[in-house]
Formats: sequence, C-alpha cells, structure tokens
Amino acid sequence: MIQKKVCMIGVFGVGKTSLVKQYVHSLFSVKYHSTVGVKIDRKTVEVDGDEVTLVLWDIAGKDAEEDIPASYIRGSHAVIFVVDGTRRETWEELPILTQLVQNTVGVIPMVVALNKSDMSEEWVMRPDEEQRVMSQWDVVRTSAKTGLGVEEVFQRIARGALGKPGAAS
Amino acid sequence: MSESTSVPTDVFGVSHVGRVREANEDHFVVASLRKTLTLRHTNVEQASLLERKAGPEALLMLVADGVGGHAGGAEASRIAATAIVEYLSSAAHCFNNLDVDHEHEFMERLEKGVRIAHERITSSAAGERPPATTLTMVLLVAPRAYVVHVGDSRAMFLRKHRLRVLTRDQTMGEELVDVGAITAEQAARSRFRDQLTSALGSSAMTPSLGLVDLRAGDVLLLCTDGLTKHVTESRIADVLGQSATAEQVGRQLVDEALAGGGSDNVSVVVARIGS
Repeated sequence: MIQKKVCMIGVFGVGKTSLVKQYVHSLFSVKYHSTVGVKIDRKTVEVDGDEVTLVLWDIAGKDAEEDIPASYIRGSHAVIFVVDGTRRETWEELPILTQLVQNTVGVIPMVVALNKSDMSEEWVMRPDEEQRVMSQWDVVRTSAKTGLGVEEVFQRIARGALGKPGAAS
Repeated sequence: MSESTSVPTDVFGVSHVGRVREANEDHFVVASLRKTLTLRHTNVEQASLLERKAGPEALLMLVADGVGGHAGGAEASRIAATAIVEYLSSAAHCFNNLDVDHEHEFMERLEKGVRIAHERITSSAAGERPPATTLTMVLLVAPRAYVVHVGDSRAMFLRKHRLRVLTRDQTMGEELVDVGAITAEQAARSRFRDQLTSALGSSAMTPSLGLVDLRAGDVLLLCTDGLTKHVTESRIADVLGQSATAEQVGRQLVDEALAGGGSDNVSVVVARIGS
C-alpha cells in the first residue's frame, strides 16, 4: 500500500482539525479544541484505480508563542495550507509558510483550503484579495461545517502526492 | 529526524488505591528500551561515543485504568501493560532505524501493540463479557514523544508555565459537547461524563495517535482520571511547575487527589525533560 504524508498547516483556529474530522469521520465539532503537537489520522482513497493511504499530520497552528517546527514537516509528500476567509492574517501568512515548507522539503504539491466559506456575514476577504491568492496558489473554497469542497481538496492533494494529472501544483 | 540521540530525563511513576475503592485497578509502566551495547571495560578514548552507536534510548511510559463496573478491570489494565511491554521489547529495533521515511511504519507498530493488547484482553474473557481498560502511552525517542491514547486517562505537559493537554477524552460526555448537544458544564454533571466510547477490551477500540517534540525544561504527565476528578488543570500546572524532582511532583499530585476525596484509584507518571 502506498502511503503519503500530507501536512495540514496554517495559523491557529483556521479549521485544520475540523477539515480532517469532516473528511475522515464525516463529523463537525462546534466546540473548538486547540491542537497540541501533531494529531495523526489516516484515510485510504482511490485515485484512478490506485489506492493510496493519506497519513494526515494535523499540525498545531502557528500562534504568538509557537512557530511551526520544521521537524514536523520533514518527509512530507504534500501540504494543505488552511486559511480562514474571516481573518486576514491567516492568508497574509501564506508566503512565510510556503517558504518554511520549501526550505524544509523542497517543492512539493500544495493546495490552499480557503475555509469557513459558510460564514458569509463574517467574511472579510475581498474579491481582489481572493484573486491574488488564487493567482499564486491552487485554491479550493471549503467549509468543514457543511462539507463544501472537503472531498475535493483532499482528492486534489492525493493526486498531487501521486503525481497524477489534474493535481495540486 | 532528531538532532540529539537521548535526553536525560528524571522520571517517576506511582499508583494509589484511593480512599474509597477496595482494590486498585490501575497499572503504570516506566521502562527504558535500547538496542543493548553496554561497555564494561575499554582503553578507547572517548568511549562514550561507542555507546551512542548502540542507538537512541527510548523511554516508554504508560498508565492504564481498568474500567469500573466490568469484572476484572485490574486484570484488563495488567494485561494491557504487560502486552505493550512484551510487544515493544520484541520490536525494539524499530526505533533504532527511525527516520522520516520509517516514521509511519514505526507509528503503525505502536498502534499494532495496542491492538495486540486489546485482542489479548478480549480473548481472556473465554465467552464472558471481557474486562476493559483505558490506555495512555508515550514512547519518548528524544526529542519526539509519540502518544497513543484510548479512553479517558490523559497525557499533558507543562511548557513555560502553560499546561498543554495532548489527549482528548474518549467519552460520551465529550462527544455530546463536541456536537453541541450539551454544554461542558452539563457533561461534567451527567452520567455520560465517565461513559467511555472507546476502551481496550470493549466493542469499540479506536486509538488516537499524536506526537510532540519536547524540549528541555518541559514536564510531561500521564495520569488516570483519579487525578483529574479531584485536581484542576490549573493546580496540576502549579505542581508541575515547582522546582522539584519527578518523584516529589508525582507524590504531591497523588496526595492532592487523595485530599480532594480520593474517590478513584489514581496513577501518575511524571517525566522532567532534561537538557
């Protein structure tokens, strides 16, 4: 069985754990739990007839006290960056996080999950900001709460990790 | 993966029956694992470097809380502890070649050890309803601490005066709070608080896996719920933050659980991560 390590990376509170929980367990928690260290889940998916097990490393979000340790990223085959359309600082951090990943493991497939897309009233990302992010990264709008885009973002990263066409860049 | 091959650690475990229960159904283990090469005599200069070739030392710590209400809770936690030790002693080679490419395999082995313990408990029942137990285990291959967790015992650590909980209770109360069906306050008062949704020996056994890189000065704690029923996280943080040995800290935590009522068996393992 092919296994691929996929890291979930982003600022604290953007919904990394919720996306994994929705994808792996089809559940959404209303209660926020801050991840400590790394929580690991697995899911086996089929891509063009090939089975691959995604080993999902849900890494504690970057906050004022803690950076994301490069040691957690080593050995990754792909990365999902998670940003939150209701908090500007979460996508402003993308260039720094991308640099961290590339300095650690080189160029690997990456996709950005633009999360909390169900929260239209709190949404602060302007269309021009979204365009700018989309011009630099492969972006999928997601909602861990409704499930919107969740399968797509993981399917896209699975294709990327396997080097399949139509994958994350 | 790790820059250092070992971290000197002051570690201590203790278990107490409590003030109410007649028997202690908890078990704990603290064990060092390494591919053995012990120098007895040599005239080689810097001989300590040879010992490093023996591979990194790993520190196994676990607590297991036999589930009340089931026959043989103590037996379940004992089987879990011994099965894990037996399995890891036979698979000790796996952490000596540990690097990022083998880490998934390594973690699968840890999980397999838990599943073997689960099967051993289940098969011990001989047709009867099997006993059950929680299991919270940390394998420290410095600086990385691998955590495998089932049930409502806990692993946490103190860093810079802040307590960070590594595990989530696998209880009905926790699940109901998660989905918003009840509040945390309601859960704390309800019968669902202690109702496990996952345990070794029970029909549902879903280990959760995690890891964290520890640093010098961190203090790691594994405990059964006999501690957390009576000692708040804030107070646990105060005690872990004291300038004291792991033994002094461990004994004080147990004393405070007993002073708070001691309604359950209480077990703790404390590890001070050195430089």
